[in-house]
Amino acid sequence: MVLEWEPVLKEVISEILETMFFAMVEFQDCGRGDGRFDYESEIELQKHEGRIAISLQLTEEFARMLTAGFLGIDENQVKDEDLQDCMKELVNMIGGGYHARINDGAWELGIPRVWKIGADSTHRAQAAVRLDFSFFEEPAGSAVLSYLPG
Amino acid sequence: MSYNVLIVDDSRSMRKVIWKILRLLGFDLGECLEASNGQEALDILEGKWIDLILADVNMPVMDGVGFIRSMREKNICMDTPVIFITTEANEERLNQLMDLGASGYIRKPFRPEEMGAFLSRIMGETDGFRMGTSVEGSDF
Repeated sequence: MVLEWEPVLKEVISEILETMFFAMVEFQDCGRGDGRFDYESEIELQKHEGRIAISLQLTEEFARMLTAGFLGIDENQVKDEDLQDCMKELVNMIGGGYHARINDGAWELGIPRVWKIGADSTHRAQAAVRLDFSFFEEPAGSAVLSYLPG
Repeated sequence: MSYNVLIVDDSRSMRKVIWKILRLLGFDLGECLEASNGQEALDILEGKWIDLILADVNMPVMDGVGFIRSMREKNICMDTPVIFITTEANEERLNQLMDLGASGYIRKPFRPEEMGAFLSRIMGETDGFRMGTSVEGSDF
């Protein structure tokens, strides 16, 4: 079963960003946002009936700020590998938070992945309904949950 | 007395954050060792005395369940507390970790003070773990 994902993801993302990354974001109404993002991380929950993919896209500026807050360093000290590692950790926590709320032990959390968004990867994100969020009124990121039966 | 600590997590960032929290909490650290999966951790445990292990559950190569099971099967560091810091929400898997002898688990996300309270309970109020450093007002 897939929950009404938008409110659940809003709650999960807010809790994680506030608790471990010291950032508060504002969510926009769901829609086909036209924000351009720089990095994408993804995690899957799997069971035999299908899988749930949770994808998170962030601007480089916001990802850098989150990484700096998480590691307790200045933004100009953030290396690309730290930034990508933090994005994996963030989507890992989001997947775990969603999993906890599904409350179905049959789902298994996968290993998170991250990549820099290129011309081909933006295509998929634009095709889905997205949960966009901003940080101090600037577009910061977007989350997508997809259920893939079978 | 200082304590040798091993952190097992495939996320380099998460390992850094855990070290930082331990220092903020006033944990008296001896040797600080890291592994990025259960197998690497077992290799370290073969030749080192470790006082506390903080480990992730979902890791490539060897996950947390495989790690603690191998520790028990090989009789390695049987008295060393193993605490899992994880996003894992599967109760069955968490119970499996406890059945295999884990001292407990902390679910992410968590606040540093939650981890401090948890470690106090597991490690006790020893010389190595004094909650003398306030997390409030720190730059964490």
